[in-house]
Amino acid sequence: MERQPDKNEISSYIIQSQEEEIKRIALELHEGVGQTLYSLYTGMQFIGNAVEQDEMKGYVSDMAELLEKTIQEIRLLAVELHPPTLTTLGLLPAMKSYLKLYTSTYGIEVELETSGKEVPLEERQRITLFRVCQEALANIARYADTVKAEMTFTWQFDHLSIIIKDKGRGFDKDKGWHQSTGLAAMRERMHLIGGEWHLSTKIGEGTVVELYLPFI
Amino acid sequence: MNQSFEIAHMCESILSKIATDFVGLALQNREGPDVRWHYAAGNSNDKYKKITVRYGKGIAGKVISTGSPITVNNFPDNIYGKALEYPIMLAEKLLYAYAVPIFYKGAPKGVLLVGRRTNKPINEGEQNIVRQAALSLEGMISGLF
Ligand SMILES: Nc1ncnc2c1ncn2[C@@H]1O[C@H](COP(=O)(O)OP(=O)(O)O)[C@@H](O)[C@H]1O
Ligand SMILES: [Mg+2]
Repeated sequence: MERQPDKNEISSYIIQSQEEEIKRIALELHEGVGQTLYSLYTGMQFIGNAVEQDEMKGYVSDMAELLEKTIQEIRLLAVELHPPTLTTLGLLPAMKSYLKLYTSTYGIEVELETSGKEVPLEERQRITLFRVCQEALANIARYADTVKAEMTFTWQFDHLSIIIKDKGRGFDKDKGWHQSTGLAAMRERMHLIGGEWHLSTKIGEGTVVELYLPFI
Repeated sequence: MNQSFEIAHMCESILSKIATDFVGLALQNREGPDVRWHYAAGNSNDKYKKITVRYGKGIAGKVISTGSPITVNNFPDNIYGKALEYPIMLAEKLLYAYAVPIFYKGAPKGVLLVGRRTNKPINEGEQNIVRQAALSLEGMISGLF
């Protein structure tokens, strides 16, 4: 009898093809659209310098500025979707560049602590950890009502642990679990790469999300 | 009187004139395209100081990219995009906001936003006060560029 793919394999497959699409879009934004707009921007500056008429000069410089804003937003969008460094330099550099964007977007300071030496991970694991951290941070921005958060990366010889902690308002775990699917999706994604996910929270005290990935 | 003092005073006075919880003024930096929240009144924390408004995103980003006023009612219901794209609403826990552009030399370079932590819209007259204030601010910020 032919073997049927199990539920986990199907979830993995769906997530992976989705991630490949996201990566393709991010790359296209960054290398394709972004580069083209940049060429236009430099061309516009060139024209601006050549134009003599004051009114025209102002008009060209307004257009150049509009292009500059668009290029910047496209770069930020690419970092949110799939930071280029996630593929080239690894999880930690990608997380650092995302945290900068996170603070400048939400005004929440994230204190990052790391110990041990970064172990190169499979791309699938890197992406999962990145997404789960993103989701935990998004929840903090949206619900925790706090001005800062903490993130700890601990690299051991046989595992990586990541802790994302806020001292915000906390919530009723059972209620939160049934309210939406974000928490369940984080746990599911960690299981799919052979990891674990834990959440503890207390109203008025805050929330801690712990990720654990064994190296086998 | 010092310009930034005058501007801060303007934000405070809006807060007292119309019963609103939060008033914020975002302006484009002198150098480069970044737009940041420079002044606030009624703020419940200092997050606004660290936020750079993203072009075309959220209420302030859209006011700047379109050059027109925007109203948000009962956030996050019926918003365009995701709740996470509205950082100032999240940071200040606003449910209602009304934001108008501030022009400099014909281009939108800033946003004046008033918000409430209850979903109670401001009325026509109050909207007028906000638009008037934005016009006076246009005169004041010219010295900043
Ligand atoms: N860090 C946090 N602080 C406070 N509340 C939180 C936090 N994370 C999650 N929650 C609560 O748990 C609920 C479920 O979270 P999640 O499944 O991610 O849903 P959502 O799609 O609303 O983000 C949220 O609606 C919120 O009430
Ligand atoms: Mg969530």
